[in-house]
Amino acid sequence: MKLGTRKLLDRSFSALGLFSILIMGAALLVILVPIFKRGAGAFVFKATVEHRRLLLERFERGNADALDAELEAAQLARRPVYDMLTRFEAEQAHELDALRPTLAALAAREDSIGRLVQRRLRTMDDGAFLENVETVGKLRDRLRGHVESESITADIALIDSVLQRIELRMASFVDLTERVDDLLGPAPGAATPALPRKQYGATRWDRAEVRLRELLYVEQWDYSGEGMGRKVLTPRADVFRGTQLAALFDYVETHAEAMLRPRFTFYWGFLTDEPLDIHIFGGILPELMGTLYLTLGAILFAVPIGIVAAIYFTEYARPGRIVTFLRTCVSTLAGVPSIVFGMFGLAFFLNVCHMPKGVLAGALTLSLVILPTIIRASEEAIRAVPHTYREAALGLGAGRWHTIVTVILPAALPGILTGTVISMGRAAGETAPIIFTAAASVAATLSLNPLAAWNQPTGALSWNIYNLCTEHEAVNEIRHVQFGMVAVLVTVVLLLNGFAIVFRARIAKKLKG
Amino acid sequence: MRQSEENSGTKTAAARLVLSARARILNSILDGLGRTFLFTITSVAAAAVLFIIFYIAKDAIPFFQIRGLREFFTSTHWYPSGDPPAFGALAIIHGSVLVTLGAAVVAVPLGISAAVCLSDVLPFAVRQAVKPVIEILAAIPSVAYGFLALVVFAPMLQESGGRILAVAWYVLAVPFLFVAVVVIGDLASARIRRDKLRAAARIPILLAVGAVASLLLVVVGKALYGFTIVTGTNALNVSIVLGIMALPTVVSVAEDSLQAVGRELREGSYALGATRAETLVKTIMPAASSGILAAVLLGIMRALGETMVVWMASGNAAQIPEPWFNYFAPIRTLTATIAGDMGEADHVTGSARYHVLFAMGLLLLVFCFACNLISEWVIARQRKKLAGEA
Repeated sequence: MKLGTRKLLDRSFSALGLFSILIMGAALLVILVPIFKRGAGAFVFKATVEHRRLLLERFERGNADALDAELEAAQLARRPVYDMLTRFEAEQAHELDALRPTLAALAAREDSIGRLVQRRLRTMDDGAFLENVETVGKLRDRLRGHVESESITADIALIDSVLQRIELRMASFVDLTERVDDLLGPAPGAATPALPRKQYGATRWDRAEVRLRELLYVEQWDYSGEGMGRKVLTPRADVFRGTQLAALFDYVETHAEAMLRPRFTFYWGFLTDEPLDIHIFGGILPELMGTLYLTLGAILFAVPIGIVAAIYFTEYARPGRIVTFLRTCVSTLAGVPSIVFGMFGLAFFLNVCHMPKGVLAGALTLSLVILPTIIRASEEAIRAVPHTYREAALGLGAGRWHTIVTVILPAALPGILTGTVISMGRAAGETAPIIFTAAASVAATLSLNPLAAWNQPTGALSWNIYNLCTEHEAVNEIRHVQFGMVAVLVTVVLLLNGFAIVFRARIAKKLKG
Repeated sequence: MRQSEENSGTKTAAARLVLSARARILNSILDGLGRTFLFTITSVAAAAVLFIIFYIAKDAIPFFQIRGLREFFTSTHWYPSGDPPAFGALAIIHGSVLVTLGAAVVAVPLGISAAVCLSDVLPFAVRQAVKPVIEILAAIPSVAYGFLALVVFAPMLQESGGRILAVAWYVLAVPFLFVAVVVIGDLASARIRRDKLRAAARIPILLAVGAVASLLLVVVGKALYGFTIVTGTNALNVSIVLGIMALPTVVSVAEDSLQAVGRELREGSYALGATRAETLVKTIMPAASSGILAAVLLGIMRALGETMVVWMASGNAAQIPEPWFNYFAPIRTLTATIAGDMGEADHVTGSARYHVLFAMGLLLLVFCFACNLISEWVIARQRKKLAGEA
C-alpha cells in the first residue's frame, strides 16, 4: 500500500473516533435540548386569565380584586361571542317558525295527516328550539312514510329543505359551542360542569392557540391519495355564511387575546401544587414526594449494607473460594435487568412477605438495584485511602475495628458519598422495579410522616412520565406536564451526578496532594 | 540518670501497649464477632442475587409444568387472555433479539471507535471534558429516553422518515465511500506491475471506482428519500435509542481495557514504523480483544434488559415482522411484555398467564448471567495475560 494511502487510512481512523465522540455529544444535545426547552414550558408560559382564575379558586393564590377586574374586562370582550351565539339560535328558531304556516295548513286537513300534524304542533308550542327541530324532523319522516304522502309532496319538500339547512347548521353549531367552551370556559349563566377540565377555558396560551385553530377550522383526513391520509382543514365559517355567526370567526380570531388576556407567568406551583383532574391542571407534588420517599428509602437500606459489605471485602476478606463466590454474586446482581428486580419484588416482598404495594416494598426493591453500585464505589473509596493512614493508626495501638471506624471510614467518606449520590440518581430514575411494587397512577400525596406513608402506593416521577404519555386520556393536552416532569427528573439526576463529578474531582486533587 | 528515665518511659509505654490477658481475649472475641457480623451482612447482600434467581425460577417452573417447553419457544401465537389461551413467545423473543442486535449495530462501532479515540487519539484535557458527557448519557433515566423516543422521535420518523434516513445515509456514506474509493483505487493500481502503466492507470481507475461509488451513493440515497415509514414506534427507533443508551457502557469498558494494554506494545509498534491506526488495529485491539468483547457483551446486556424504552416506543406488536429483519415494523420485547402484562395477570392464584411472565424473566436472567459471567471471566483472563506479559 502506498504511504499516502496509509496516512489517509490513519487520518480517517482518527476521524472515525472523533466522529463517534461528536455523535455522542450530538446525541446528548438531541436528548437534553428538547427536554429542557419544552420542559421549561411547564414553569414559564403565557398564562391566560383562566389560569389565574383556576389558581385563585383551587389553590387560593393570587389577588382576588385584580382577578375580578380582569375577568370583567375579559367578559366584556367575550360578550359579543355569546351574543352572536344567542342571536344565531334565535335566527334559526325564526327560520323554523317560517314553517308554521305550512304546518298549520297541513293541520287544518281533516284526514289522518291533519291529526298527525296537529299532535306534533301541540308539542312544538312549549318545546325548546332544538327539541322542535327534532319534532319537525320526526314529523317529516312520518309524513314521508304516510300512505297519502303524494298529495303533499310540495309541502314535504319545503319542510325538508328548511329542516336540512337548519340541521346541518345546528350540528356544526353544537360542535362550535363546545369549541367556544373549550376556549373560554363555560358560558356565563350555564350550569357548572362536573369535570374541572370543563370548568375552565384554555389556561395556557399555547393550548389556547391550538383550540382557537380547532374552533376556526374543521380537521378532516383525506384518504383518497396513496398511503396515509392527508390532513385537510376547512374553515368552519363556510357552514355559517350568511347567518348571524358569520362575523364570529373573525371576531374570535382578532379578539382572542382580549378574551383570554395572556401574560407571561412563572408557575413555580408546578413543583408544589397538587394535580387537578389527573394532571390536566396543577402541579406534580405527589410524584415528587413519591420519588423522594422511594429514593431516600432505597438509600437508607442500601447504604449501610453496602458500606459493611465493602469493609468486609477490603479489610477482612482473604482471597479464597467463598470470597470469590460472594464477589461474583455481587457483580452478577449488577447485571440483573431492572424489570427482573421488579418481578422479584412482586414475588418476594409482596407475595411471600405480604407487604402492601407501597413505598416500603418499592424502596426495598430499589435498594437491591443500587446495592452493587454502592458496594463497588465504597470499595474503591476504601482502597483509595493511603496505606500510611492504616499503618499509622495500627501503630498507635488502635485495634482493627477502631482503625476502620475512626480513620479509614472518615477518609473514605467523600468517595462513599459520591457513590451514594450517583446511586440516588439511579434510584430516582428507575421505573421498572417500582411498577409492580410501589407505583400507582393516581395516588394521594404521601404524608411527611414516614410511619403513615410506608404502606401507601404512590406516584413517582419516572412512573408517571410513562403513565401520562401512554395511558392518559388527553395525552396531547398535557404535553407540557409530561415534558415538565421529564425535565424535573432529568434535572434532579443531573444535579446529583454533577455534584458527584465535582466531588470526585476534588477528592482526586486532595489525594494528589 | 537521663538514660534510665528514658528507659522507664519506654517501659511504661510498652506496658500500656501489652494488653492484659482478659483484654486480649475480649478483643479477639469482639474481633471475631465483628468479622462474623460483617460476613453475615455481606452474605445477605450477595445472597440477594440467589434469592432473585430462586424466586423467579420458582414462579417460572409452574408455567413449564402446565404448558411444556415447546409452545413457548416455537409458537408465535401470543394470546394469553384468549380462550383457549396461547403462550407462544417466539415473536416476542424475536423482537428482543431484533432490537438488541440493532442496538449493538449502533453502539458497538460507535462505542469502540470512541473508546479508541479517547484512549489513544485525544489529548488529556479533551478526554476530561468528554468523560462527563459519557457519564451524563449513562445517568439519564431510561424513562426519559423512552419518552423522547415516543413523543419526539416517533412522530419525526413517521412524518419525514425518508428524509431523515437519506440524510443519515449521506452523512455516513460520503466519508466512508471516499476512503473506500481511495483505498480500492490504490490497491487496484498496485496490482499493475509495470511502473509506467501504473502511473497512467491510477487516475482512470480512481475515477471509475469513484463513479461506481457515487452511483451507489445517489441510488441508495434516492431510494431512501422516497421511503415512507408507516409507524414511528418501530424497531428502528427503539434500536437507535437503545444503542445510545448502551454506548456509555461500551465506551467505558472498552476504554479501560485499551488503557490496560500499556505503553510497551504501543511503543514497540510505533518503533517498527506502524501508523497510529495500524498500531491500534493490529496490535492494541487484539491485545485488548477480550476486554472489548466484555464491553460488547455488557452493552448488549444493557440493551436486552432495558424496559421502559421498548415498552413505550416499540409499538408492542407481538408478531414477527415481514421480512424478519424489517426494522420499520412495530415489535414487542420480553421486558415490555412483562411490564405490560403483569398488571392484568392474576398473581394471587397463580395462573399460567402469571407464570409465563416469570418464564420470560427467567430467560432474561439466564442470558444476562451468561453475558455477565463470560465478561467477568474474559476480563480476568485479560488482566492475567497482561500481567504475565509485563
